Amino acid sequence: MLCRDHKHGFMPRKSLSLLAACALWISGAWSQSAPRTVNPAAPLARNPIAAQEPGVHRAAASNGLDIKIPLQPNSVRFAVIGDSGTGDREQYEVAREMEAYREAVKFDFVIMLGDNIYGSHSPQDFVKKFEEPYKPLLDAGVKFYASLGNHDDPNGESLYKPFNMGGKRYYAFRKGEVAFFALDSNYMDPRQLDWLEQNLKSSQGTWKVCFFHHPLFNDGRHHGPDIDLRSQLLPLFQRNGVNAVFSGHEHVYERIRPENNIYYFVLGSSGKLMTHDFHESGERVKGFDRDRTFMIVEIAGEKLYFQVISRTGETIDSGELTRANVMQAH
Amino acid sequence: MLIHLPKRLCVAVAMVLAGLAAAQGANDASLVKDFAGRIQKYLDLRKTADISKKPTDSPDKLVYQKQQAEEKIQQSRPAAKQGDIFTPPIGAYFKKQIAATLRGAQGEKVRASLRRAEPLPDIRLQVNHPYPAHLPLQSTPPTLLLNLPRLPGELQYRIVGSTFVLFDTAANLIVDLLPDAVSGP
Repeated sequence: MLCRDHKHGFMPRKSLSLLAACALWISGAWSQSAPRTVNPAAPLARNPIAAQEPGVHRAAASNGLDIKIPLQPNSVRFAVIGDSGTGDREQYEVAREMEAYREAVKFDFVIMLGDNIYGSHSPQDFVKKFEEPYKPLLDAGVKFYASLGNHDDPNGESLYKPFNMGGKRYYAFRKGEVAFFALDSNYMDPRQLDWLEQNLKSSQGTWKVCFFHHPLFNDGRHHGPDIDLRSQLLPLFQRNGVNAVFSGHEHVYERIRPENNIYYFVLGSSGKLMTHDFHESGERVKGFDRDRTFMIVEIAGEKLYFQVISRTGETIDSGELTRANVMQAH
Repeated sequence: MLIHLPKRLCVAVAMVLAGLAAAQGANDASLVKDFAGRIQKYLDLRKTADISKKPTDSPDKLVYQKQQAEEKIQQSRPAAKQGDIFTPPIGAYFKKQIAATLRGAQGEKVRASLRRAEPLPDIRLQVNHPYPAHLPLQSTPPTLLLNLPRLPGELQYRIVGSTFVLFDTAANLIVDLLPDAVSGP
Protein backbone atom coordinates (compact mmCIF):
# COMPACT_ATOMS: atom_id res chain seq x y z
CA MET A 1 0.00 0.00 0.00
CA LEU A 2 1.35 3.36 -0.93
CA CYS A 3 0.52 6.80 0.40
CA ARG A 4 -1.43 9.14 -1.81
CA ASP A 5 -0.83 12.79 -2.57
CA HIS A 6 -3.27 15.30 -4.04
CA LYS A 7 -2.23 15.26 -7.63
CA HIS A 8 -0.75 11.97 -8.61
CA GLY A 9 -2.00 9.40 -6.22
CA PHE A 10 1.25 8.31 -4.54
CA MET A 11 4.00 9.96 -2.50
CA PRO A 12 6.86 10.50 -2.23
CA ARG A 13 7.24 8.98 -5.62
CA LYS A 14 10.95 8.34 -6.06
CA SER A 15 11.69 6.89 -2.67
CA LEU A 16 8.57 4.75 -2.62
CA SER A 17 9.27 3.50 -6.09
CA LEU A 18 12.73 2.41 -4.93
CA LEU A 19 11.24 0.78 -1.87
CA ALA A 20 8.58 -0.96 -3.93
CA ALA A 21 11.19 -2.19 -6.38
CA CYS A 22 13.24 -3.66 -3.53
CA ALA A 23 10.15 -5.32 -2.07
CA LEU A 24 9.22 -6.79 -5.41
CA TRP A 25 12.74 -8.08 -5.94
CA ILE A 26 12.81 -9.67 -2.50
CA SER A 27 9.37 -11.28 -3.04
CA GLY A 28 10.37 -12.54 -6.45
CA ALA A 29 7.51 -10.73 -8.17
CA TRP A 30 9.86 -8.57 -10.20
CA SER A 31 10.06 -11.15 -12.91
CA GLN A 32 6.40 -10.58 -13.72
CA SER A 33 6.46 -6.86 -13.46
CA ALA A 34 9.33 -6.24 -15.83
CA PRO A 35 9.21 -8.59 -18.77
CA ARG A 36 12.10 -8.79 -21.18
CA THR A 37 10.48 -6.68 -23.85
CA VAL A 38 9.91 -3.71 -21.61
CA ASN A 39 12.99 -3.50 -19.47
CA PRO A 40 16.02 -5.26 -20.90
CA ALA A 41 17.96 -4.55 -17.71
CA ALA A 42 15.52 -6.36 -15.43
CA PRO A 43 16.48 -9.72 -13.85
CA LEU A 44 15.13 -12.61 -15.89
CA ALA A 45 16.13 -15.62 -13.82
CA ARG A 46 12.55 -16.68 -13.10
CA ASN A 47 10.02 -18.10 -15.45
CA PRO A 48 7.21 -15.54 -15.40
CA ILE A 49 4.63 -18.16 -16.27
CA ALA A 50 5.55 -20.55 -13.48
CA ALA A 51 5.86 -17.88 -10.82
CA GLN A 52 2.96 -17.83 -8.33
CA GLU A 53 4.20 -15.47 -5.66
CA PRO A 54 1.74 -14.22 -3.08
CA GLY A 55 0.38 -10.80 -3.89
CA VAL A 56 0.86 -11.29 -7.59
CA HIS A 57 -2.29 -12.24 -9.40
CA ARG A 58 -2.34 -15.67 -10.93
CA ALA A 59 -0.20 -16.40 -13.93
CA ALA A 60 -1.68 -19.30 -15.83
CA ALA A 61 -0.16 -21.14 -18.71
CA SER A 62 -2.71 -21.93 -21.39
CA ASN A 63 -1.65 -23.02 -24.85
CA GLY A 64 1.74 -21.56 -24.07
CA LEU A 65 0.21 -18.14 -23.45
CA ASP A 66 1.33 -15.96 -20.60
CA ILE A 67 -2.01 -15.17 -19.01
CA LYS A 68 -1.87 -12.69 -16.17
CA ILE A 69 -5.52 -12.14 -15.40
CA PRO A 70 -7.15 -14.40 -12.82
CA LEU A 71 -10.14 -15.67 -14.86
CA GLN A 72 -12.54 -15.52 -11.95
CA PRO A 73 -16.02 -16.96 -12.35
CA ASN A 74 -18.70 -14.47 -13.46
CA SER A 75 -16.18 -11.74 -14.16
CA VAL A 76 -16.54 -9.28 -17.05
CA ARG A 77 -13.81 -9.91 -19.63
CA PHE A 78 -13.12 -7.86 -22.70
CA ALA A 79 -10.38 -6.83 -25.09
CA VAL A 80 -9.35 -3.33 -26.10
CA ILE A 81 -8.04 -2.18 -29.48
CA GLY A 82 -7.32 1.29 -30.77
CA ASP A 83 -6.34 2.80 -34.12
CA SER A 84 -6.67 -0.62 -35.62
CA GLY A 85 -8.23 -0.24 -39.05
CA THR A 86 -5.27 -0.12 -41.42
CA GLY A 87 -5.82 -3.40 -43.23
CA ASP A 88 -2.06 -3.95 -43.03
CA ARG A 89 -0.28 -7.15 -42.12
CA GLU A 90 0.38 -5.96 -38.56
CA GLN A 91 -3.32 -5.49 -37.85
CA TYR A 92 -3.92 -9.09 -38.92
CA GLU A 93 -1.08 -10.30 -36.71
CA VAL A 94 -2.50 -8.51 -33.69
CA ALA A 95 -5.92 -9.99 -34.51
CA ARG A 96 -4.43 -13.50 -34.61
CA GLU A 97 -2.88 -12.97 -31.20
CA MET A 98 -6.24 -11.72 -29.92
CA GLU A 99 -7.93 -14.88 -31.12
CA ALA A 100 -5.33 -17.03 -29.37
CA TYR A 101 -6.01 -15.17 -26.13
CA ARG A 102 -9.79 -15.29 -26.65
CA GLU A 103 -9.65 -19.07 -26.76
CA ALA A 104 -7.86 -19.13 -23.43
CA VAL A 105 -9.42 -16.14 -21.68
CA LYS A 106 -12.93 -16.31 -23.16
CA PHE A 107 -13.46 -12.58 -23.45
CA ASP A 108 -16.74 -12.02 -25.24
CA PHE A 109 -16.53 -8.43 -26.40
CA VAL A 110 -14.04 -5.87 -27.65
CA ILE A 111 -14.12 -2.11 -27.20
CA MET A 112 -12.68 -0.08 -30.08
CA LEU A 113 -11.03 3.25 -29.34
CA GLY A 114 -11.51 4.83 -32.74
CA ASP A 115 -9.87 4.99 -36.15
CA ASN A 116 -11.58 1.71 -36.82
CA ILE A 117 -11.38 2.14 -40.59
CA TYR A 118 -8.56 4.31 -41.98
CA GLY A 119 -8.70 5.94 -45.39
CA SER A 120 -11.53 5.23 -47.76
CA HIS A 121 -14.75 3.62 -46.55
CA SER A 122 -15.73 1.52 -49.52
CA PRO A 123 -17.44 -1.84 -48.89
CA GLN A 124 -14.08 -3.53 -49.51
CA ASP A 125 -12.51 -1.40 -46.77
CA PHE A 126 -14.99 -2.65 -44.19
CA VAL A 127 -14.04 -6.18 -45.19
CA LYS A 128 -10.29 -5.73 -45.40
CA LYS A 129 -9.88 -3.50 -42.35
CA PHE A 130 -12.40 -5.14 -40.02
CA GLU A 131 -14.30 -8.23 -41.12
CA GLU A 132 -11.33 -10.26 -42.36
CA PRO A 133 -8.79 -9.62 -39.63
CA TYR A 134 -11.31 -10.22 -36.85
CA LYS A 135 -13.21 -13.03 -38.59
CA PRO A 136 -12.26 -15.70 -36.05
CA LEU A 137 -13.45 -13.45 -33.24
CA LEU A 138 -16.67 -12.53 -35.04
CA ASP A 139 -17.30 -16.19 -35.87
CA ALA A 140 -16.87 -17.02 -32.20
CA GLY A 141 -19.63 -14.56 -31.32
CA VAL A 142 -17.39 -11.82 -29.93
CA LYS A 143 -19.15 -8.44 -30.08
CA PHE A 144 -17.35 -5.24 -31.01
CA TYR A 145 -18.36 -1.87 -29.54
CA ALA A 146 -16.86 1.00 -31.49
CA SER A 147 -16.17 4.61 -30.68
CA LEU A 148 -15.37 7.11 -33.41
CA GLY A 149 -11.92 8.46 -34.26
CA ASN A 150 -10.97 11.32 -36.53
CA HIS A 151 -10.37 8.91 -39.44
CA ASP A 152 -13.78 7.27 -39.09
CA ASP A 153 -16.93 8.02 -41.03
CA PRO A 154 -19.31 9.03 -38.24
CA ASN A 155 -22.52 8.26 -40.01
CA GLY A 156 -21.48 5.18 -41.94
CA GLU A 157 -19.78 3.42 -39.04
CA SER A 158 -22.48 4.21 -36.50
CA LEU A 159 -24.95 2.37 -38.73
CA TYR A 160 -22.67 -0.61 -39.28
CA LYS A 161 -24.26 -3.33 -37.15
CA PRO A 162 -21.04 -5.19 -36.25
CA PHE A 163 -19.88 -2.00 -34.48
CA ASN A 164 -22.97 -2.13 -32.21
CA MET A 165 -23.42 1.65 -32.11
CA GLY A 166 -27.13 1.53 -32.86
CA GLY A 167 -26.84 4.44 -35.29
CA LYS A 168 -25.53 6.75 -32.57
CA ARG A 169 -22.29 8.72 -32.23
CA TYR A 170 -22.24 8.02 -28.49
CA TYR A 171 -24.03 5.39 -26.47
CA ALA A 172 -23.93 3.31 -23.30
CA PHE A 173 -24.17 -0.38 -22.56
CA ARG A 174 -23.92 -2.61 -19.56
CA LYS A 175 -22.02 -5.86 -18.97
CA GLY A 176 -22.58 -7.38 -15.55
CA GLU A 177 -21.74 -4.76 -12.97
CA VAL A 178 -19.82 -2.64 -15.44
CA ALA A 179 -21.37 0.33 -17.25
CA PHE A 180 -19.63 1.37 -20.46
CA PHE A 181 -19.93 4.76 -22.13
CA ALA A 182 -18.68 5.09 -25.70
CA LEU A 183 -18.12 8.78 -26.50
CA ASP A 184 -17.50 10.76 -29.66
CA SER A 185 -14.50 12.92 -28.78
CA ASN A 186 -14.42 14.38 -32.30
CA TYR A 187 -17.45 16.42 -31.45
CA MET A 188 -18.05 16.85 -27.74
CA ASP A 189 -20.97 19.23 -28.02
CA PRO A 190 -23.20 20.39 -25.14
CA ARG A 191 -25.82 17.83 -26.16
CA GLN A 192 -23.35 14.97 -25.65
CA LEU A 193 -22.04 16.46 -22.39
CA ASP A 194 -25.61 16.68 -21.06
CA TRP A 195 -26.31 13.11 -22.14
CA LEU A 196 -23.13 11.88 -20.45
CA GLU A 197 -23.83 13.71 -17.22
CA GLN A 198 -27.36 12.33 -17.01
CA ASN A 199 -26.39 8.78 -17.91
CA LEU A 200 -23.40 8.63 -15.58
CA LYS A 201 -25.49 10.03 -12.77
CA SER A 202 -28.30 7.53 -13.24
CA SER A 203 -26.04 4.55 -13.91
CA GLN A 204 -26.25 1.70 -11.42
CA GLY A 205 -22.99 0.17 -12.64
CA THR A 206 -20.49 -0.63 -9.91
CA TRP A 207 -17.75 0.28 -12.38
CA LYS A 208 -18.12 3.15 -14.81
CA VAL A 209 -15.83 2.88 -17.80
CA CYS A 210 -15.60 5.54 -20.52
CA PHE A 211 -13.89 5.05 -23.86
CA PHE A 212 -13.26 7.44 -26.72
CA HIS A 213 -10.58 8.39 -29.22
CA HIS A 214 -8.71 11.51 -28.05
CA PRO A 215 -6.74 11.02 -24.81
CA LEU A 216 -7.05 13.45 -21.92
CA PHE A 217 -3.53 12.60 -20.78
CA ASN A 218 -0.58 11.22 -22.71
CA ASP A 219 3.12 11.67 -23.23
CA GLY A 220 3.10 11.26 -26.97
CA ARG A 221 5.04 13.65 -29.11
CA HIS A 222 2.84 13.20 -32.14
CA HIS A 223 -0.46 14.46 -30.72
CA GLY A 224 -0.29 14.95 -26.97
CA PRO A 225 -3.35 15.28 -24.76
CA ASP A 226 -6.45 17.17 -25.76
CA ILE A 227 -6.52 19.64 -22.89
CA ASP A 228 -9.68 21.44 -23.98
CA LEU A 229 -11.51 18.12 -24.02
CA ARG A 230 -9.93 17.39 -20.65
CA SER A 231 -11.20 20.67 -19.21
CA GLN A 232 -14.78 19.61 -20.06
CA LEU A 233 -14.66 15.89 -19.29
CA LEU A 234 -12.48 15.62 -16.21
CA PRO A 235 -14.81 17.50 -13.83
CA LEU A 236 -17.74 15.54 -15.22
CA PHE A 237 -15.93 12.22 -14.70
CA GLN A 238 -15.00 13.20 -11.16
CA ARG A 239 -18.51 14.36 -10.26
CA ASN A 240 -20.03 11.12 -11.48
CA GLY A 241 -17.66 8.44 -10.26
CA VAL A 242 -15.98 7.30 -13.47
CA ASN A 243 -13.38 4.64 -12.63
CA ALA A 244 -11.45 3.96 -15.81
CA VAL A 245 -10.90 5.69 -19.15
CA PHE A 246 -9.54 4.16 -22.36
CA SER A 247 -8.41 6.29 -25.33
CA GLY A 248 -6.47 5.86 -28.56
CA HIS A 249 -5.26 8.42 -31.14
CA GLU A 250 -1.59 8.38 -30.06
CA HIS A 251 -0.08 5.31 -31.71
CA VAL A 252 1.51 3.85 -28.60
CA TYR A 253 0.52 2.07 -25.41
CA GLU A 254 0.59 4.14 -22.28
CA ARG A 255 -0.64 3.72 -18.72
CA ILE A 256 -1.10 7.07 -17.02
CA ARG A 257 -0.67 7.82 -13.35
CA PRO A 258 -4.18 7.79 -11.84
CA GLU A 259 -5.75 11.20 -11.52
CA ASN A 260 -8.38 11.74 -8.81
CA ASN A 261 -9.01 7.99 -8.52
CA ILE A 262 -9.55 7.57 -12.26
CA TYR A 263 -7.32 5.17 -14.20
CA TYR A 264 -6.28 6.24 -17.70
CA PHE A 265 -5.00 4.04 -20.50
CA VAL A 266 -3.96 5.06 -24.00
CA LEU A 267 -3.91 2.30 -26.56
CA GLY A 268 -3.61 3.50 -30.12
CA SER A 269 -1.31 0.89 -31.54
CA SER A 270 -3.45 -2.05 -32.63
CA GLY A 271 -2.83 -1.22 -36.28
CA LYS A 272 -0.81 1.97 -36.47
CA LEU A 273 2.46 2.51 -34.64
CA MET A 274 4.54 5.58 -33.86
CA THR A 275 7.98 4.62 -32.58
CA HIS A 276 10.13 6.87 -30.37
CA ASP A 277 7.05 8.86 -29.55
CA PHE A 278 7.42 9.66 -25.85
CA HIS A 279 8.56 12.70 -23.99
CA GLU A 280 8.79 12.83 -20.22
CA SER A 281 5.96 14.48 -18.34
CA GLY A 282 5.89 12.42 -15.16
CA GLU A 283 2.33 11.30 -15.95
CA ARG A 284 3.32 8.00 -17.52
CA VAL A 285 3.64 4.86 -15.42
CA LYS A 286 4.32 2.55 -18.32
CA GLY A 287 4.75 3.12 -22.01
CA PHE A 288 5.53 1.03 -25.06
CA ASP A 289 6.07 2.31 -28.58
CA ARG A 290 8.03 -0.48 -30.26
CA ASP A 291 5.26 -2.71 -31.56
CA ARG A 292 1.53 -3.04 -32.00
CA THR A 293 -0.54 -4.00 -28.97
CA PHE A 294 -3.95 -4.93 -27.65
CA MET A 295 -5.23 -5.30 -24.12
CA ILE A 296 -7.34 -7.79 -22.23
CA VAL A 297 -9.25 -6.68 -19.18
CA GLU A 298 -11.09 -8.57 -16.48
CA ILE A 299 -13.32 -6.87 -13.93
CA ALA A 300 -14.38 -8.83 -10.88
CA GLY A 301 -15.83 -7.19 -7.79
CA GLU A 302 -13.62 -4.31 -6.76
CA LYS A 303 -10.73 -5.31 -9.02
CA LEU A 304 -9.82 -4.52 -12.59
CA TYR A 305 -7.07 -6.76 -13.98
CA PHE A 306 -5.34 -5.84 -17.19
CA GLN A 307 -2.74 -7.30 -19.50
CA VAL A 308 -1.26 -5.60 -22.55
CA ILE A 309 0.06 -7.94 -25.21
CA SER A 310 2.20 -7.17 -28.22
CA ARG A 311 1.76 -8.37 -31.79
CA THR A 312 4.35 -11.06 -31.08
CA GLY A 313 2.63 -12.24 -27.92
CA GLU A 314 4.83 -10.62 -25.33
CA THR A 315 3.27 -9.16 -22.22
CA ILE A 316 4.09 -5.48 -22.14
CA ASP A 317 2.26 -4.48 -19.01
CA SER A 318 -0.08 -6.07 -16.50
CA GLY A 319 -1.52 -5.40 -13.11
CA GLU A 320 -4.56 -5.06 -10.96
CA LEU A 321 -6.40 -1.90 -10.02
CA THR A 322 -8.79 -1.48 -7.19
CA ARG A 323 -11.94 0.54 -7.61
CA ALA A 324 -11.71 3.88 -5.81
CA ASN A 325 -8.28 4.67 -4.60
CA VAL A 326 -5.86 1.80 -4.20
CA MET A 327 -3.58 0.67 -6.98
CA GLN A 328 -1.28 -2.30 -7.09
CA ALA A 329 -0.11 -2.43 -10.67
CA HIS A 330 3.12 -4.12 -11.61
CA MET B 1 -20.65 71.77 -9.78
CA LEU B 2 -17.14 71.23 -11.12
CA ILE B 3 -16.53 68.55 -8.51
CA HIS B 4 -19.65 66.64 -9.49
CA LEU B 5 -19.06 66.80 -13.24
CA PRO B 6 -16.61 63.87 -13.53
CA LYS B 7 -18.93 61.69 -11.50
CA ARG B 8 -21.86 62.60 -13.74
CA LEU B 9 -19.68 62.00 -16.74
CA CYS B 10 -18.76 58.57 -15.47
CA VAL B 11 -22.41 57.71 -14.92
CA ALA B 12 -23.27 58.94 -18.40
CA VAL B 13 -20.47 56.92 -20.00
CA ALA B 14 -21.52 53.84 -18.03
CA MET B 15 -25.12 54.29 -19.18
CA VAL B 16 -24.03 54.65 -22.80
CA LEU B 17 -21.84 51.53 -22.56
CA ALA B 18 -24.64 49.57 -20.89
CA GLY B 19 -26.97 50.73 -23.61
CA LEU B 20 -24.52 49.67 -26.30
CA ALA B 21 -24.04 46.29 -24.65
CA ALA B 22 -27.79 45.83 -24.43
CA ALA B 23 -28.17 46.84 -28.07
CA GLN B 24 -25.38 44.44 -29.02
CA GLY B 25 -27.02 41.69 -26.99
CA ALA B 26 -30.34 42.33 -28.67
CA ASN B 27 -28.63 42.35 -32.06
CA ASP B 28 -26.86 39.06 -31.28
CA ALA B 29 -30.13 37.53 -30.12
CA SER B 30 -31.78 38.61 -33.33
CA LEU B 31 -28.94 37.09 -35.40
CA VAL B 32 -29.14 33.81 -33.49
CA LYS B 33 -32.89 33.77 -34.08
CA ASP B 34 -32.34 34.37 -37.79
CA PHE B 35 -29.74 31.58 -37.85
CA ALA B 36 -32.11 29.18 -36.04
CA GLY B 37 -34.82 29.95 -38.58
CA ARG B 38 -32.50 29.16 -41.48
CA ILE B 39 -31.44 25.92 -39.82
CA GLN B 40 -35.09 24.97 -39.36
CA LYS B 41 -35.76 25.62 -43.05
CA TYR B 42 -32.86 23.35 -43.94
CA LEU B 43 -34.23 20.64 -41.65
CA ASP B 44 -37.70 20.95 -43.19
CA LEU B 45 -36.21 20.53 -46.63
CA ARG B 46 -34.15 17.64 -45.38
CA LYS B 47 -37.27 15.97 -44.04
CA THR B 48 -38.95 16.12 -47.45
CA ALA B 49 -35.84 14.52 -48.98
CA ASP B 50 -36.52 11.48 -46.78
CA ILE B 51 -32.99 10.26 -46.11
CA SER B 52 -33.78 7.78 -43.38
CA LYS B 53 -30.98 5.26 -42.99
CA LYS B 54 -31.05 2.02 -41.11
CA PRO B 55 -28.36 0.03 -39.33
CA THR B 56 -27.12 -2.79 -41.52
CA ASP B 57 -24.63 -5.65 -41.59
CA SER B 58 -23.84 -4.98 -45.21
CA PRO B 59 -21.04 -2.54 -46.10
CA ASP B 60 -22.50 -2.37 -49.62
CA LYS B 61 -25.86 -1.22 -48.29
CA LEU B 62 -24.11 1.22 -45.96
CA VAL B 63 -22.31 2.91 -48.83
CA TYR B 64 -25.45 2.85 -50.99
CA GLN B 65 -27.50 4.54 -48.25
CA LYS B 66 -24.85 7.21 -47.88
CA GLN B 67 -24.78 7.96 -51.60
CA GLN B 68 -28.58 8.09 -51.71
CA ALA B 69 -28.69 10.58 -48.84
CA GLU B 70 -26.07 12.79 -50.50
CA GLU B 71 -27.90 12.81 -53.81
CA LYS B 72 -31.35 13.44 -52.34
CA ILE B 73 -30.22 16.46 -50.33
CA GLN B 74 -28.16 17.82 -53.22
CA GLN B 75 -31.13 17.55 -55.54
CA SER B 76 -33.48 19.14 -53.04
CA ARG B 77 -31.44 22.36 -52.88
CA PRO B 78 -29.88 22.72 -56.32
CA ALA B 79 -29.44 26.49 -55.97
CA ALA B 80 -27.67 26.28 -52.61
CA LYS B 81 -24.81 28.71 -52.32
CA GLN B 82 -22.32 29.96 -49.78
CA GLY B 83 -23.96 32.45 -47.43
CA ASP B 84 -27.44 30.95 -47.51
CA ILE B 85 -27.17 30.25 -43.80
CA PHE B 86 -24.03 32.15 -42.83
CA THR B 87 -25.36 35.44 -44.20
CA PRO B 88 -22.91 38.34 -43.82
CA PRO B 89 -24.40 39.48 -40.48
CA ILE B 90 -24.69 35.90 -39.15
CA GLY B 91 -21.19 35.16 -40.43
CA ALA B 92 -19.86 38.23 -38.62
CA TYR B 93 -21.55 37.05 -35.43
CA PHE B 94 -19.92 33.61 -35.70
CA LYS B 95 -16.50 35.12 -36.42
CA LYS B 96 -16.88 37.32 -33.35
CA GLN B 97 -17.82 34.34 -31.16
CA ILE B 98 -14.93 32.24 -32.47
CA ALA B 99 -12.42 35.06 -31.97
CA ALA B 100 -13.73 35.71 -28.47
CA THR B 101 -13.34 32.02 -27.58
CA LEU B 102 -9.78 31.89 -28.91
CA ARG B 103 -8.88 35.05 -26.96
CA GLY B 104 -10.86 34.18 -23.83
CA ALA B 105 -9.95 32.56 -20.54
CA GLN B 106 -9.90 29.09 -22.12
CA GLY B 107 -8.33 30.36 -25.34
CA GLU B 108 -4.93 28.73 -24.85
CA LYS B 109 -6.54 25.33 -24.22
CA VAL B 110 -8.75 25.72 -27.27
CA ARG B 111 -5.79 26.70 -29.48
CA ALA B 112 -3.76 23.77 -28.11
CA SER B 113 -6.67 21.46 -28.87
CA LEU B 114 -6.79 22.77 -32.44
CA ARG B 115 -3.04 22.33 -32.87
CA ARG B 116 -3.07 18.76 -31.60
CA ALA B 117 -6.14 17.49 -33.41
CA GLU B 118 -4.42 16.87 -36.71
CA PRO B 119 -5.12 20.32 -38.16
CA LEU B 120 -6.29 20.17 -41.74
CA PRO B 121 -4.87 22.30 -44.53
CA ASP B 122 -7.01 24.92 -46.26
CA ILE B 123 -8.63 22.99 -49.04
CA ARG B 124 -11.32 23.98 -51.47
CA LEU B 125 -14.74 23.11 -50.09
CA GLN B 126 -18.02 23.66 -51.86
CA VAL B 127 -21.51 24.14 -50.48
CA ASN B 128 -23.87 21.24 -51.15
CA HIS B 129 -20.91 18.99 -52.02
CA PRO B 130 -19.70 16.00 -49.98
CA TYR B 131 -17.02 16.35 -47.36
CA PRO B 132 -13.87 15.17 -49.15
CA ALA B 133 -13.29 11.42 -48.93
CA HIS B 134 -10.08 10.31 -47.18
CA LEU B 135 -9.89 13.61 -45.26
CA PRO B 136 -9.99 13.05 -41.48
CA LEU B 137 -12.32 15.13 -39.36
CA GLN B 138 -10.57 17.59 -37.13
CA SER B 139 -12.19 17.57 -33.70
CA THR B 140 -14.06 20.76 -32.83
CA PRO B 141 -12.98 22.07 -29.42
CA PRO B 142 -15.77 21.57 -26.87
CA THR B 143 -15.26 25.01 -25.32
CA LEU B 144 -15.87 26.58 -28.71
CA LEU B 145 -19.05 24.56 -29.11
CA LEU B 146 -20.29 25.86 -25.77
CA ASN B 147 -20.01 29.42 -27.12
CA LEU B 148 -21.96 28.84 -30.31
CA PRO B 149 -25.69 28.37 -30.94
CA ARG B 150 -26.72 24.76 -30.36
CA LEU B 151 -27.39 22.69 -33.43
CA PRO B 152 -29.82 19.82 -33.95
CA GLY B 153 -28.24 16.38 -33.95
CA GLU B 154 -28.18 16.14 -37.75
CA LEU B 155 -25.74 19.04 -38.10
CA GLN B 156 -22.27 19.83 -36.77
CA TYR B 157 -19.82 22.73 -36.76
CA ARG B 158 -16.49 21.68 -38.27
CA ILE B 159 -13.16 23.36 -38.86
CA VAL B 160 -11.11 22.81 -42.01
CA GLY B 161 -7.99 24.97 -42.01
CA SER B 162 -9.31 28.46 -41.35
CA THR B 163 -12.77 27.70 -42.70
CA PHE B 164 -15.73 27.20 -40.41
CA VAL B 165 -18.10 24.61 -41.82
CA LEU B 166 -21.71 23.68 -41.21
CA PHE B 167 -21.79 19.96 -41.88
CA ASP B 168 -24.68 17.53 -42.37
CA THR B 169 -23.32 14.32 -40.87
CA ALA B 170 -25.93 11.91 -42.18
CA ALA B 171 -25.77 13.25 -45.72
CA ASN B 172 -22.00 13.93 -45.53
CA LEU B 173 -22.62 17.32 -47.13
CA ILE B 174 -21.25 20.81 -46.61
CA VAL B 175 -24.38 22.81 -45.80
CA ASP B 176 -22.60 26.17 -45.68
CA LEU B 177 -19.15 27.52 -44.95
CA LEU B 178 -17.50 30.61 -43.57
CA PRO B 179 -13.97 31.21 -44.87
CA ASP B 180 -11.27 32.92 -42.78
CA ALA B 181 -13.20 32.39 -39.56
CA VAL B 182 -10.58 30.55 -37.52
CA SER B 183 -7.22 32.22 -37.06
CA GLY B 184 -4.10 30.04 -36.99
CA PRO B 185 -3.39 28.45 -33.64
